[in-house]
Amino acid sequence: MRQRASSPFRIRASLTAYGFVGLALLLWGFFVLRPTIEVFFLSLYRWDGIAPIRTWVGLDNFAKLAADPIFWKALGNNLAWLAMVVTFNVSLGLVTAALLAQKIRGRLFFQAGYFLPVVQAGIVVALTWRWIYNPDGLLNESLDLVGLSDFTRGWLGDRSLALPALALATGWAGFGLAVVIFLAGMQGIDRELYDAAAMDGANGRQAFRHVTVPGLRNVFTVVLLLEVIGAFQAFDVIWGTTQGGPLHATEVLATYMFKKGIAEGQYGYGSAIAVVFMVIVLVVAVISIAVRERGEPADG
Amino acid sequence: MAEPASLPKPTRIAPPGVSRPVTRRWALLPTYIVLTALLVFAVGPLLVSWVSAFKTSQQIIYEPFALPSPWTLENLDKAWNVGRFGRYIWNSVLISVGAVVGTVVVATLAGYAFARLRFLGRGLLMLLLLLGLTIPISAIIIPLYLTMRDVHLLDTQWSVVVAHVAIGVPIFTFMMRGFFRGLPRELDDAARVDGSGELRVFWSVMLPLVRPGVLTIALLEFLWSWNSLLLPLVFLTRDELRTLPVGLLFFQGRASVDWGPMSAGVMIIALPIVALFLIFQRRFVHGLTGGAVKG
Repeated sequence: MRQRASSPFRIRASLTAYGFVGLALLLWGFFVLRPTIEVFFLSLYRWDGIAPIRTWVGLDNFAKLAADPIFWKALGNNLAWLAMVVTFNVSLGLVTAALLAQKIRGRLFFQAGYFLPVVQAGIVVALTWRWIYNPDGLLNESLDLVGLSDFTRGWLGDRSLALPALALATGWAGFGLAVVIFLAGMQGIDRELYDAAAMDGANGRQAFRHVTVPGLRNVFTVVLLLEVIGAFQAFDVIWGTTQGGPLHATEVLATYMFKKGIAEGQYGYGSAIAVVFMVIVLVVAVISIAVRERGEPADG
Repeated sequence: MAEPASLPKPTRIAPPGVSRPVTRRWALLPTYIVLTALLVFAVGPLLVSWVSAFKTSQQIIYEPFALPSPWTLENLDKAWNVGRFGRYIWNSVLISVGAVVGTVVVATLAGYAFARLRFLGRGLLMLLLLLGLTIPISAIIIPLYLTMRDVHLLDTQWSVVVAHVAIGVPIFTFMMRGFFRGLPRELDDAARVDGSGELRVFWSVMLPLVRPGVLTIALLEFLWSWNSLLLPLVFLTRDELRTLPVGLLFFQGRASVDWGPMSAGVMIIALPIVALFLIFQRRFVHGLTGGAVKG
């Protein structure tokens, strides 16, 4: 009853509100949501983008993908990349945060330093590390200085080293974010738990394992989600250095999609690659949001 | 990797009789050493590359760690004139400022509505935007490119500006909603009772109070649009429209061994971001981790 009495007012209030959200929803709907749906349709066609007719090919693009060794190479590289960057960022982030969580003078100064690479452009990361890895670059020069000349090489030209080398560059540009997130998580852990552990005779390492790590469970989920989404979108640093080479040693889904879909204009095939990594990212995201929502009450 | 001795010692209770300050100072020495080594790892490459911008290309190769001798502005000059960085800076500024202004307008309006106004479908739209947070943008670049072509925005700076504003809608709407929700309800209710219209409540009562929030989203949007590579690379094909990151990418192709002008280009891109970061460090850190860590 009350609802009906107020309904003309409600409709007017709704119209006002739509005025507020309208611009945002129109822009997002047209330039993000619609392309997100369209990429699935595009993947079912063969189309060069210019011809007025798109040729319906059903799942042919995906069959072609399944038989494309470069696609599998790129997918494998993405997974290896993910494993390397996650291991690097999580372990280094965790250790650094644990060190900073002590009574450290100049904590903000250290934190700012670790975070500085995080705000750098991908192309800056790419060129800085391309120069470090160059045959006559910083890394080889340093090896010469400490008498390890035998290990000098063209790092990014080496098929087995190029991918880990670029993963390290990406880890450099990302671990500062993990440090800050872990540090915030650690500062949220109840101090009394540490006191209790100390009274039970736990040493620093044991307290870290049995109090700090379990207390960071939700934070781990967040960091992992960020890393997975980031790893499958890896593009800037690779495109700014090796562009997927040598011999596809650093090819990932995003670079391969760019080559096929944008550079070669195979919109259907490129979209099929995009669909694969869109699905992977969405599945991971939905799972980790579900895990997170279960871990803590939704904000009401 | 740190040795076990440098792992945290959260035990704050020192046994009686032990002089605490002295033991603690020495106990933390390995920690400081590791933290400093990590600092060198994080900041070192950037510092060396910025210093290199003032060295000759030859000195960069033969003495990578040395200070410039002589100091030279040749690289900046070359980047500016041969590399056309003057043009690229202007394009980058234009696009970033456009994206920031657009984002602030769009996200404050929408964030306010989601925080304070009740309307049909609000829950559903929120859910849609929440899912939208997870869409990987590089996966939709092909249909987005075709969309820009169909609305005749390709090879105009508008394409990049509009795409950045649209892509930022979910994250920035959520952030602004959070800021508006942090304001006491009595404020806008009182203004409404006084007979102010919704737009007036928003503009004169609420907006001035969320200035810190507006600054945060403006900084983040500036960071992302200034640093962005893929969108301008795909949407802008003419050289005179290129942004700094894209310009540097192609400059690299043209001058593959000339590290001097390259370092100058890297420094030019990094300079405004580093300056803003040093001024607004807390806002950047908080903004970039805000979605991740509550509070």
